[in-house]
Amino acid sequence: MLALSTATLVSVRGEIEQSHAALTLLLVVLGGSAGGGRPLGYSLALSGFVVIDYFFQAPYGSLAVGKTLDWVVLVAFLASAFVATELLARARGEAETARKRTEEVASLSRLGSETLRHARADDALEALSALIRSTFSARWCTIRELPDSKNARRWTSAIAAEDPRVTGRMRELEERMTLAASADAVADVHRVALATSDGSVVIDSLVGEDASSRIEAFGLPLFVESRLAGMLIVGGSTQQPIAFAPPRRRFVATISYYAALGLERVRLAREAQDARELREANRAKDEVLATVSHDLRTPLTTIKLLAQAAAARGEAAGASIEEQVDRLADLVTNVLDLSRIRAGGVPLDVALNTAEDVIAAAVSRVQGVLRGRHIVTKVDLDQPALVARFDFVQTLRILVNLIDNALRYAPEDGSVEINAERNGAWVAITVADRGPGVRPEERSRIFDAFYRPRSEVPDAGRAGLGLSIARRLAELQEGTVEYSPRDGGGSLFTLRLPAVDLNSEKFIESSILEAFGT
Amino acid sequence: MKERNTILVIDDEPEIRRLVSAALTEGGACVLQAKTAAEGLRVAAAENPDLFVLDLGLPDQAGIDVCRELRQWTSAPIVVLSARQAEAEKVALLQAGADDYVSKPFGMRELAARIEAQLRRARIPLRESPSVLKIGELTIDLPRRIVRRGSRMIRLTPTEWSILQTLAVNAGRPVTHQDLFNIVWGREFGSPSHYLRVYVTHLRRKIEVNPAEPRIIITEPGVGYRLEP
Repeated sequence: MLALSTATLVSVRGEIEQSHAALTLLLVVLGGSAGGGRPLGYSLALSGFVVIDYFFQAPYGSLAVGKTLDWVVLVAFLASAFVATELLARARGEAETARKRTEEVASLSRLGSETLRHARADDALEALSALIRSTFSARWCTIRELPDSKNARRWTSAIAAEDPRVTGRMRELEERMTLAASADAVADVHRVALATSDGSVVIDSLVGEDASSRIEAFGLPLFVESRLAGMLIVGGSTQQPIAFAPPRRRFVATISYYAALGLERVRLAREAQDARELREANRAKDEVLATVSHDLRTPLTTIKLLAQAAAARGEAAGASIEEQVDRLADLVTNVLDLSRIRAGGVPLDVALNTAEDVIAAAVSRVQGVLRGRHIVTKVDLDQPALVARFDFVQTLRILVNLIDNALRYAPEDGSVEINAERNGAWVAITVADRGPGVRPEERSRIFDAFYRPRSEVPDAGRAGLGLSIARRLAELQEGTVEYSPRDGGGSLFTLRLPAVDLNSEKFIESSILEAFGT
Repeated sequence: MKERNTILVIDDEPEIRRLVSAALTEGGACVLQAKTAAEGLRVAAAENPDLFVLDLGLPDQAGIDVCRELRQWTSAPIVVLSARQAEAEKVALLQAGADDYVSKPFGMRELAARIEAQLRRARIPLRESPSVLKIGELTIDLPRRIVRRGSRMIRLTPTEWSILQTLAVNAGRPVTHQDLFNIVWGREFGSPSHYLRVYVTHLRRKIEVNPAEPRIIITEPGVGYRLEP
């Protein structure tokens, strides 16, 4: 272009002034720097300088400058050409940066939509790794869970995945980078592992400016709520390095969030699946328990009937066999109850009930296991009945368990006292014995399932379930069961149930009307 | 003049069937046995027994259906042997026509007592049922609507009386909460029936010797109440 313009201009040299030539050549320089960037712009500017001097300034065909004015023209040309080239180059640079930004934004939005679009968390990570690989024009990209997590998995997208050398190198770098990046326990979202051109793996920071900009691979630790969840590793090869200049790094930091999100999604999906399986296993277990306990009751009935028949014939063993059968039946009920409570399958029929009704039912139920102990109930009949909101059947279970427990620890021929009183918002039913009490260090544990105080002699009939069941059943009805040492020695168990005031309700009104009216 | 009662025991467990039958025979009853629901229904139709002992875990038919079938043609009491603790099931059984139930593992004394109570109830036709019940010191005079302990009159509210009357008419048989609601408050729209258990507590305080250990009105947990004659 320069030669062509020069030739044209030379042919009409007689009719133009040197400024015309300078302006024309300036145009050529502008064109050149617009198309070819700084280097071409500057070299055209210098060539133009020489061309003007040589062809268009007298003496023609020589580099000697004749007049001072000619110098002015030459310097002005060169300065204009340089300034124009520089300005154009900067504009081009900015345009280029803007274009890259736009590209980054576009690929981020693609990342975002890929992460969300796929119904299965797995597919999302698959797509994500392919997208990241193509964004970096890399040979491979792997998103992986930490190898120490259970059933750790990886999602890889790779060119020439079947080439064992590529895969071998890929795996090797994955391991080294994971090791390097997870070595530091502190969660640093800017940490990055780089495989440099000399083959070594170094730890660098995404916010640093000094790292080498062309690398074989980089690996990012992925954090979810400052917990290291996995790694994102992007690799090229020594022949095809990855451009990793500082502006790129900000972008990399952002994509790591998407990859971390994807991993978190996989983890949550897996947990949901585990929970589902656990629930099903629980239900199956519950069914088995229900069937087994149901099936156990029939042979227990046979044994009990046989034992009673033996006792009727005067055989001493009969009575104790019968007692053991009852204990076994209790145990079966307890195990089934505990399983139901844990599975959340206790049917509740919460209604207005009175404390004295449930206490009386409990006392009548434990008549067979008193073994010489007495039960003393204290209900003040001059006071209005204590009314609370609770499930009668489950509360009966609670009381029977508490009384049964107290009977076990009460001294022989001793007594168990049952009391009920209004206590603020609660109806409190207490079961008290004069047994050894519970040692302070064991008080927090007596309500644990299968816990038995260490001091207790092993006893086949007891599995340590009664108190645990009592407490859980109380909590299901928004009540509580608590232990406290009894004044003067022994244990005091308190069952609290939500009290109901009938004064404010229709009940009193209708009772009064009935009593005085009809 | 006590006549011999015919009792049909329907249970697939041979040992339980044998032991229950032996004990009932010893108690003076004539006992028939059946292994399945089908056999039970056949024997029932042929022999028209005075009482049924029915196991719920029969291999060929659900116990509750056997109850319903029997109820279509006989009013003889049905005492059910249940292996489950579920109260809802007991209520359903009572509504299907069973008169009483015992839970496994039960004792023979318990079962015999229930059977005896049912036979006593069934022997007397409803129209000839005693209009005056005496339970220990307590006298319940149904036609005159009077309750006395010894010679002392006990004053009841209409609701309390209605509950006592319902239980007395069904003496020895569990009456479900629902049945009590229906009979006591049946004609009253929007009745305060959820106070039933409170009313029963008040009633007990008036008629029981020791309300802390009731002997007359027995709570059937999760099911209802039973008046013990």
